[in-house]
Amino acid sequence: MNLKRMLRPSSSVLAAGALVASAIAAAPAHAETRGYVVSWFATATYSQDFKNNCPQNKNGGRYGNSVKALMTIGYTEEEAVKIMATQDALLGPEYMKKIESRARVNGKPASIYNYPEAVADPMIELSSGKYAFGFDLGSKNNDAKFEDPETHLKVDNQLWRAVGCVESFKAVAPDIPYFEDLTWHLMIDSAPAWAFQVTGDDLSKDGKVTVTFDKTVQHLMRDASGNVMTNATYVIDPSPRSHNVFQGEIKDGELRINSGNLYLEGELPYYTEISLANTHMRIKQESDGKLLGYWGGYTDWKKFVYMYTARGGINGEDVVGMYHALKKLADYNPDPKSGQNQMISTAYRMEATTVYLATTDGKIIAKPGSLPAPAAEKVADK
Amino acid sequence: MKRTLILAASALALAVPGVYVAADDALPKVESPPPVRISPSQYQQSVADIFGTSIKVTGRFEPEVRDEGLMALGGRKVSITDTGLERYDDLARTVAAQVIDAKHRAALIPCTPQNVKAADDACTRAFVTSIGRLVYRRALTDAEISRKVKAAGDAANTLHDFYAGISAVVADMLISPNFLFRQRDIEPDPAHAGSMRLTGYAKATTLASFLWNTAPDDLLLKAAESGDIHTKDGLKRQVDRMVSAGSMEGGVRAFFSDMLGFSDFETLSKDPNFFPRYTLKVRDQSEEQTLRTIVDHVVKRQGDYRDLYTTPNTFLTRSLAALYNVPLVELVDNGQPERWIPYSYQPGDPRAGILAQASFVALHSPSGRTSPTGRGKALRENILCQAVPPPPGNVDFKFVQDTSNPVYKTTRDRLTAHRSEAMCAGCHKITDPIGLALENFDSAGGYRTEENGAKIDTSGDLSGVKFDGPVGLAKVLHDDPALTSCVAKRVFSYGAGRAPLPGEAEFALVQKKFTDSKYNVLELMRQVAMSDALYILPAPKTP
Repeated sequence: MNLKRMLRPSSSVLAAGALVASAIAAAPAHAETRGYVVSWFATATYSQDFKNNCPQNKNGGRYGNSVKALMTIGYTEEEAVKIMATQDALLGPEYMKKIESRARVNGKPASIYNYPEAVADPMIELSSGKYAFGFDLGSKNNDAKFEDPETHLKVDNQLWRAVGCVESFKAVAPDIPYFEDLTWHLMIDSAPAWAFQVTGDDLSKDGKVTVTFDKTVQHLMRDASGNVMTNATYVIDPSPRSHNVFQGEIKDGELRINSGNLYLEGELPYYTEISLANTHMRIKQESDGKLLGYWGGYTDWKKFVYMYTARGGINGEDVVGMYHALKKLADYNPDPKSGQNQMISTAYRMEATTVYLATTDGKIIAKPGSLPAPAAEKVADK
Repeated sequence: MKRTLILAASALALAVPGVYVAADDALPKVESPPPVRISPSQYQQSVADIFGTSIKVTGRFEPEVRDEGLMALGGRKVSITDTGLERYDDLARTVAAQVIDAKHRAALIPCTPQNVKAADDACTRAFVTSIGRLVYRRALTDAEISRKVKAAGDAANTLHDFYAGISAVVADMLISPNFLFRQRDIEPDPAHAGSMRLTGYAKATTLASFLWNTAPDDLLLKAAESGDIHTKDGLKRQVDRMVSAGSMEGGVRAFFSDMLGFSDFETLSKDPNFFPRYTLKVRDQSEEQTLRTIVDHVVKRQGDYRDLYTTPNTFLTRSLAALYNVPLVELVDNGQPERWIPYSYQPGDPRAGILAQASFVALHSPSGRTSPTGRGKALRENILCQAVPPPPGNVDFKFVQDTSNPVYKTTRDRLTAHRSEAMCAGCHKITDPIGLALENFDSAGGYRTEENGAKIDTSGDLSGVKFDGPVGLAKVLHDDPALTSCVAKRVFSYGAGRAPLPGEAEFALVQKKFTDSKYNVLELMRQVAMSDALYILPAPKTP
């Protein structure tokens, strides 16, 4: 497989994005608009019940995967354990070179990271638990669905099934997967922010809204605690490439959007973009005015796994195993020729911070402010 | 006339006032005024003016001392400690190393040595003569030049490096009392037989320090050398030139930094849990915001001083705009320093005027809560020149500090409870009614209308005039005569090195001219610069 192909945005998503961009309707004059930037997002993990999710607990962490990797190049388990006793946290280059070049392409050694499909599926353990965060994306396979631990609705999230037993995804909210956490906080100071506006006739109460996503010109600005600064001003990137408009509704204080395609260009080393088909979102305002919730939809599984293969499973992930698991579990958008699904259902947990949003000509188009509080909080207030 | 300057042996003793003993026994002994230690900002500005802005001054300075409301007056009463001397030595070596580095030497040294591995006395002499005049704020004597040329030559020959010799002599000059202190030498006054006066160099140094916060430039030194500065017209020519020059901005900045107590920014911090938008960058920017506002209003617009407290015009960065919760559109490339963008509040906006800026409301608040008392005290003392007695030693802060008390939700509630103690009530009557008017600004300078869910009451009174909120306070302050008389007094003290005396004619004249100019601060500084108060010597002691 040519990795360059993997990096191309999904043509269907891009086409849809362009259509959406061309169909932007101006907000009514009397409407009010709140502005937000995505202050963090990450794969929505549900690891509270790891024993039930992963009863075999066989994937292991860095050590276990190193032992398995040594066994793939001919060592017995006993020999591999002895070798590991002589190694530091990472296997030395004399072993890694053999491990990493064990793929065979046209009979010649090749990188397992560039050609994971040329290595036998190690059959990593998949998440078999009951719960995962996400949305019902409409798949017909009810047996494959999880139950969302918050909404208790059936949801499609095969990406979680693929990686839910991988050690580095073992994170209980508010923790987020290690490398997504690390790279996000390393890179947000030098990557354009993603913003969205919520427009409605009266944002003090439930009702219909329009939600518009864009990339901004500026990087995220941090506050004295290292979090994203509230009430800073961001200028929307005028390029239509990352412009997405959704209709939605706030009901009982929860903002949801009608499904559509979302594309946000980024400059992060892991998530170089957000590209979701059949996008869903549900998000609520927290007591500090920030929004906390979930995005879900179908994403290109090859782009997801590339984030790990490109770095050689730096945290000990069995990236070949992840590749095969994601490929097997991909559940959307089959290739017309091969029938292989190109996208996989997923969900992200995300937080948004209140900001001003402006256009490049200096017009302020969204201001910080409140959305209706969730119903439970209204009751508590009383 | 033959005269002898009696000095102590140590170099630093140059800071000690000298005594002129006239050969003519009929003349009284006249003590020259004490030298004045230059401030950190004067050190930095002098280095920038002499060697260029690309020379970085990095390091710590001796702490400054505030006296009668101004650091400038404190600088007249301080010397240099042993530790301070080490700091100045470090600073001097750092500057000297940059002066001779490959990037700067060609521009700063007016000649190229015949052999870079050995002394070149002629080249060194040319350098010392030209630079020394700027560093010492006077021409060096032949003996001084010869000593420095020899020292530089010894260093160059020992280290086999001509530039090492230059570096040594630069460091030596920067650690000298002739640089670290503004010397105020005196000489007989030919216009008034039997009297003494400041030398032309001392006058030039006083003027440059007052108006530009730096060392005299070449033209000012020439006016000193020609004696032009001693004539009324000559002095006026120099003052007019300086007041209209770009360097005046530095002088205005230095004065207001001093008057408004901005040295306290060094130790200011806010609890990030409560005020996350108050970053270190914002702290530094809030000081700069006010100085930019002042320079724009006072220097560029030459507006009425009183309007500084009501002006809607200021400058913001993205970070500051977030702190104040106002939108600010900035298109500069990411990663570049934040730009300063002119910003005007809408009429009636409570954030107008410099009192509403973080440089006042945050500077005079503790880390986690506001202090109407601290703000009121600062306004009384720094801006109205009114004394506020210190609190008694056994004061009980239990009400004031209990910010989560369910009964006393607002700061006003807590202060009212605190004032119920008789020992506290007297002083709080002076400070709190004006400080409470600024309660719309939290400890970091962010705008708010509620505290702990309760609406904030910002009513108050100043000198018997009632008002409501920061806009009302600013208007009352604007019309209070104490506002303009205070800044006149501060400028006079800043220039003359002493507060005006009761009924002093020179000060009365300065005040009148200030009023006539519709409270133009540049005119105020011009009048003070022309005033005899800057140059007059203490009355001679009778033998």
